Amino acid sequence: MTAAVIVKALRKSFGATEVLRGIDLEVAAGDVTCIIGPSGSGKSTLLRCIAFLDQATDGYVFVQGEPLGFAPDASGARARLPDARVRDVRAKIGMVFQQFNLWPHRTALGNVTEALTTVRGIAPAEARERGLAQLRKVGLAAHADHFPAQLSGGQQQRVAIARALALEPQIMLFDEPTSSLDPELTGEVLNVMRALASEGMTMIVVSHEIGFAASVANRIVFLDGGKLLLNGTPKEVFGQPRHPRLEQFLETYLDRGAAILA
Amino acid sequence: MSFDIGLIWSRMPDILGGFGLTLVIWLVGCLAGIALGFLVAVLRRNVAGLNIPLAAWMEVTRGTPFLIQLFLLYFGGPFIGLSLEPITAGLLGFTLYGAAYFSEIFRAGFAAVPRGHIEAGECLGLSQGQIMRRIIVPEMAVLVLPALVNMIVLLLKETAVLSIITVPELTMMISAIGSENFVFVESLFLLALFYWAMVEIAGWLGRQAEVKLASFRPAT
Amino acid sequence: MTWQLFQLLVTAAGLTVFISAVSIMIALVLGTIVSVVTLSPKPAFALAGRTYISFFRGVPLLVQLLLIYNLLPVMGIDLPGIVAAIIGLSLCTAAFQAENLRGAFASLPRGLVEAAEMAGFSAAQILRRVRVPIAFRLALPALANEAIFTLRASSLVSVVGVVELTRTAQDLASSTFLPLQLFAAAGLLYLLLSWTIAALGHVMERRMRWGRV
Repeated sequence: MTAAVIVKALRKSFGATEVLRGIDLEVAAGDVTCIIGPSGSGKSTLLRCIAFLDQATDGYVFVQGEPLGFAPDASGARARLPDARVRDVRAKIGMVFQQFNLWPHRTALGNVTEALTTVRGIAPAEARERGLAQLRKVGLAAHADHFPAQLSGGQQQRVAIARALALEPQIMLFDEPTSSLDPELTGEVLNVMRALASEGMTMIVVSHEIGFAASVANRIVFLDGGKLLLNGTPKEVFGQPRHPRLEQFLETYLDRGAAILA
Repeated sequence: MSFDIGLIWSRMPDILGGFGLTLVIWLVGCLAGIALGFLVAVLRRNVAGLNIPLAAWMEVTRGTPFLIQLFLLYFGGPFIGLSLEPITAGLLGFTLYGAAYFSEIFRAGFAAVPRGHIEAGECLGLSQGQIMRRIIVPEMAVLVLPALVNMIVLLLKETAVLSIITVPELTMMISAIGSENFVFVESLFLLALFYWAMVEIAGWLGRQAEVKLASFRPAT
Repeated sequence: MTWQLFQLLVTAAGLTVFISAVSIMIALVLGTIVSVVTLSPKPAFALAGRTYISFFRGVPLLVQLLLIYNLLPVMGIDLPGIVAAIIGLSLCTAAFQAENLRGAFASLPRGLVEAAEMAGFSAAQILRRVRVPIAFRLALPALANEAIFTLRASSLVSVVGVVELTRTAQDLASSTFLPLQLFAAAGLLYLLLSWTIAALGHVMERRMRWGRV
């Protein structure tokens, strides 16, 4: 069976700085992979390159076996795929952003149904049913008619998850989904993600929530300085003896998380 | 379409005269307008009884066309004993019009000076006058600079309206030459390019001034 | 000044409203197109858009109106003054609206577009469903302000022979020798119309209460 996501020799530079220095990664279907690492280690960039929101400088991304963004052409050279092809492959992916990125002029329900009607051509009544079902799933059916500005950060992020799920993706990407939330609001979002993981959704999560990573993920990827340093089960990665860079990261950035693991 | 260089050359004194008058009205009007606008903003802020009448005056100026204001002054003036030459009426009308916009810019600038800076001055024992001169005005001046420059450039184009009350500025002179010699469209093209160049140059100068003065921008 | 004279002014104000409203509408559509062109990744398009904005903002409206009014017959196009007036007013206002919208498009959070990209929107769908509505909301105060400018600027179309409010006041003033009263009354009508546009702008702002982005 093909892996859900394959990342091959991925490189990304912004100007003269190389943020990703050759990443290889395979995510199996049903895996929940957490990408952790210090700020500036390239973890968000990696996720954005997988989604083709940032264009990698070199290397490839395959989603369920199909190349996203770039593919080797007949002569083996790296070639940009047409936009329509990018959209087709991207349809397998749902993405949740750190800043939620809900469209402010659409209600919670409108955010969820917008792509159903506009992109998928689903009739409004049917889209409404599906949208409400998704909102119910994240516990926000009662807030369907609220505009994003009328919702708390945690609620907005749950709507954003519902919006992504409505398009029935095979793989969900989460880019620091709780990083711009007040601490007391992270729980509701993590619970929704936990429920999603238990349904068998393939998930790639960039997060600072080490506790979540340790308890929900079955793969942990540790990035440092643009390189993939560790890739294993939580037990392998967090268990003793720990890699010294990981130890340093856990101490410096997340004494909170380290305590959970102790 | 042809344009006779010889014609331009032979009427150069008139063209230069119109251009000069446009520049003079623009610069003098802007300076006087800024001074008057500043005064209005200060009075509205500090003299309670003047706020409402001055606000009403500003509202009327900003809510009616410049041309109507000019007509009122130039054609209506004589009926209340105010008979003005076109140039005088034009300059006065232009100044009053500009002052309304400038005063609004200054008012916004005053409101943008952080309250804490004024309180800090009070704590140090500065008088109200000293706070105004030494804290509020310098800070405000830097804050309003971009809006001020923008307005000054916009007003350059408004001077063309003065031609309607026969002020012999650039628009009036060039269109007069054009219609006398049956090259009206050509002369209007030339005029348009002329203004375009002037506005671009004025805008560029304004940006240079902003960059130069930006180093004084107070920390926010 | 008599009631009859005032009624003549009110009737003429109807034409002012018509010319302004049509020009404001055309300018919003044209301004949106120009601002989108200006933000195009193709340098030639961007340059064309910027040149349009620069020219029509850089030349006095009076000169533009005279130019269009006199140019059209030379080109063999015979149109009434009111059409020339609407064309001139629209072209000029569009440049200002384009500049307002350009600022709004530029300040649009990138993530809103990315969310649409991930949801499979095409570039055209993103423009229509996400960028334009949000940019309009962001620019609304500036757009309404510009609409008021258009109303006042419409007084200049009196020079191309359109007998709207200003021209009517002017004609009546010279025949009745009551310039003070007539221009004051015309000014009052303009003021009321300005307030009406401002009020409409506020109503729209309130109705688009989703407000901040």
